[in-house]
Amino acid sequence: MNASRKKTAVADIDRSVYDIRDRVDASYRVEEGLTPKIVNEIAVAKNDPEWMRLFRLKSLQVYNRLPMPGWGPPLDGLNMGEIVTYIRPNTQMRANWSEVPDDIKNTFERLGIPEAERKSLAGVGAQYDSEVVYHNVREEVRRQGVIYTDMESAIRDPEYGPMVKRHFMKLVPPEDHKFVALHGAVWSGGSFVYVPPGVQVEIPLQSYFRLNAPGAGQFEHTLIIVGDGASVHFIEGCSAPKYNVANLHAGCVELYVGKNARLRYSTIENWSKNMYNLNTKRALVEEGGTVEWVSGSFGSHTSYLYPMSILNGEGARMEFTGITFAGKGQELDTGAKVVHAAPHTYSNINTKSISKDGGWCTYRSSVVIPAGSHGCKSSVSCESLMLDDRSRSDTIPVMDIRNDDVDVGHEAKIGRISDDAIFYLMSRGISEEDARAMIVTGFAEPIAKELPVEYAVEMNNLIKLEMEGAIG
Amino acid sequence: MTMKLQIAHANKLPSPTWFRLGINGTEIGETVPGIKPYGGKCLSKELPAGVEVSFDPFPAPEVSTGIGDEARDFAEDHRSCGATVRVPDGLKAEKPVFLGYRIDETNPAVVDVNTVVAGEGSEVTVVMSYTSPRDFAGFHAGLTKLYAGRNAVIRLVQVQLLGDGCVGWDDVGAVCAEGGEAGVIQAELGGRSAFAGVKAKLEGRASRLSLDSIYFGDRKRSIDINYVAQHIGRKTKSEIHASGALLDESRKTFRGTIDFLTGAKRAVGHESEYTLLFSPKVVNRSAPLILCAEEDVEGQHAASSGKVERNLLFYLMTRGLSELDAKKLLIEAQFRPVTDRIPDGALRDAVLDYVKERLGSIESVS
Repeated sequence: MNASRKKTAVADIDRSVYDIRDRVDASYRVEEGLTPKIVNEIAVAKNDPEWMRLFRLKSLQVYNRLPMPGWGPPLDGLNMGEIVTYIRPNTQMRANWSEVPDDIKNTFERLGIPEAERKSLAGVGAQYDSEVVYHNVREEVRRQGVIYTDMESAIRDPEYGPMVKRHFMKLVPPEDHKFVALHGAVWSGGSFVYVPPGVQVEIPLQSYFRLNAPGAGQFEHTLIIVGDGASVHFIEGCSAPKYNVANLHAGCVELYVGKNARLRYSTIENWSKNMYNLNTKRALVEEGGTVEWVSGSFGSHTSYLYPMSILNGEGARMEFTGITFAGKGQELDTGAKVVHAAPHTYSNINTKSISKDGGWCTYRSSVVIPAGSHGCKSSVSCESLMLDDRSRSDTIPVMDIRNDDVDVGHEAKIGRISDDAIFYLMSRGISEEDARAMIVTGFAEPIAKELPVEYAVEMNNLIKLEMEGAIG
Repeated sequence: MTMKLQIAHANKLPSPTWFRLGINGTEIGETVPGIKPYGGKCLSKELPAGVEVSFDPFPAPEVSTGIGDEARDFAEDHRSCGATVRVPDGLKAEKPVFLGYRIDETNPAVVDVNTVVAGEGSEVTVVMSYTSPRDFAGFHAGLTKLYAGRNAVIRLVQVQLLGDGCVGWDDVGAVCAEGGEAGVIQAELGGRSAFAGVKAKLEGRASRLSLDSIYFGDRKRSIDINYVAQHIGRKTKSEIHASGALLDESRKTFRGTIDFLTGAKRAVGHESEYTLLFSPKVVNRSAPLILCAEEDVEGQHAASSGKVERNLLFYLMTRGLSELDAKKLLIEAQFRPVTDRIPDGALRDAVLDYVKERLGSIESVS
């Protein structure tokens, strides 16, 4: 083989810690499938208020009416008749890890959640299958007036319940697409965050979602309201052990960012490779507000994931930084959407993807600037690295511009590791192995530096590089 | 007599995206004048020595085109005229073949099917123009099939200067053998509703597509474009570059795809689109795609749109131009790199005059 065209071997993600399965010990579960009876059962089991029960049933009607998406990766392997939509673990929600059952606690210990909470988080929520099993927030954050709790408690809270009702699935209505309608019908768990105006939450909050049961779905709902002039960093992690049946994740995230507020939403998604990850995330950003998305997609069999930002007030901004790594058997369709719904709004999208061993990455985006939104700027950059010719990488961006007073730019690159770059680094005295390692690490670096330290370390562990070698 | 034209799927994006964006393809639904055999000659100048031209349908192998199968089949089925240009092996034609189609009272609907077959090592340039009276409401459907043999070069220049009432399309399909090249220039400057498409299958090793396109939208003009470079062979190369200007309430949709198939090792594809916007009521939509199933390739695309750069405008105004004249000059400059490559002075002047006339009617741009 010609030395200059050797290929870099990037090892598969080491999933051993994520693949440890617990015995399924459910206190309650519904039958497989999706019927009005099952949806009613979920409403009763969760002690929903009547408005929520009716909302679920209406969402089910919408789900049955809407077609499957006809534009993304195939969803043939997903049979809703075989999915269990609600499994309650055999425990109540606790605020102390010592009270969480050992098997569940040990799982979260292995994932490093309690340790991260002790070291660097202002609050933690941990969901196991369909229900939150642990939720806690630091006293000093609570004293600031910050609410961080599970969604069920928030809905029933006399003070915050009406606020939740006003916002719940208003930004992402069930009519939006089939799988968000499904979410509306069977959602369970998730977190509610309210940051009062002017409050700066200095250290991050984190929710971790673990799906343990085979053939199950997880449908958590995250609702974050950041008051005017406030700021917070929210981290979301998710994983599941691998089974030979399809699992489904159809979560929904609604973010309301007030005037001059700032919200950073970081996600490391590491679902197992039998997971259909059909998640919907959307932010509404008011005047002068900023939403920053940091997104790492490593797991799942199939992903549809495009966080959307609606820049609703003058001077609103969005930043999206994402990395996607697709290995054998994975079709990860990821990207971002932005609507510049107000004048002088700004968006910046920066993504990287790596495809290897038959993996398929698709970058998909839309930038929409309606008539009247003058003075807007948008910049999109996506880079894709192909590591073998069994893999695939597509970029499918769309720009829809409806006035002239804009500055819109898009650029994309796709290719292999550059021979010239290797040659240059070798000419500076660096070995070929180190040069290749440096280039792949450098490729992911802009994303890694946006992550909290522990997650950057996790990402580097996930993309374990084995230079010199074997592929091709 | 008129006929109802309905093309359900035109300019289809090779890989679809969200339906609600409405960019996965378009429909062409128009009532058009009845189609009858073309009256008059379409060969407008003397032929280059050695090049054969016939005007009967040519049984060429089926080819995929940019606008798509429905438009291609419509043209084949309703052919009213067209030429087949054959260039023998090794012949390098010294001057272009000129085909001019006039849409007017005599020929209100023109469906021209043209084929260019370039033998091994040959070279030919074919220049096609479509014109009509300024306000004429006619119809034009053009299908042009290019077959570039080994190391052959086909240069196709298509200039569409139709009147404000016309609807039409220019649909091109190209197949390039080893070392073959299709060089296409499309100038979509007129018509009420214009569709353009080019699809090139780069089958042979080191085959190439170069595609330069300009478009100009003013009033309520609509322009819909779909370009696809399909890299099949090793070391194939594509360059797709489009630029244009949109004024008034004009609408433009641009789709450009570089598609690297497995096996297209060392292929290189570059694509760019630059659009100048001059009105708060324009609609400018772009979908520049790269589809990649081969590792050892280099693909890049870039797109930008916005107003004229202020510094540039300021500089021109310091030289004595009014803001309106400076903007007109910049629009003309946007087209110049492409119009300068039209290999005929008279046609080049006609294009520039056409643009100037259109610009002349503009009283203000934002």
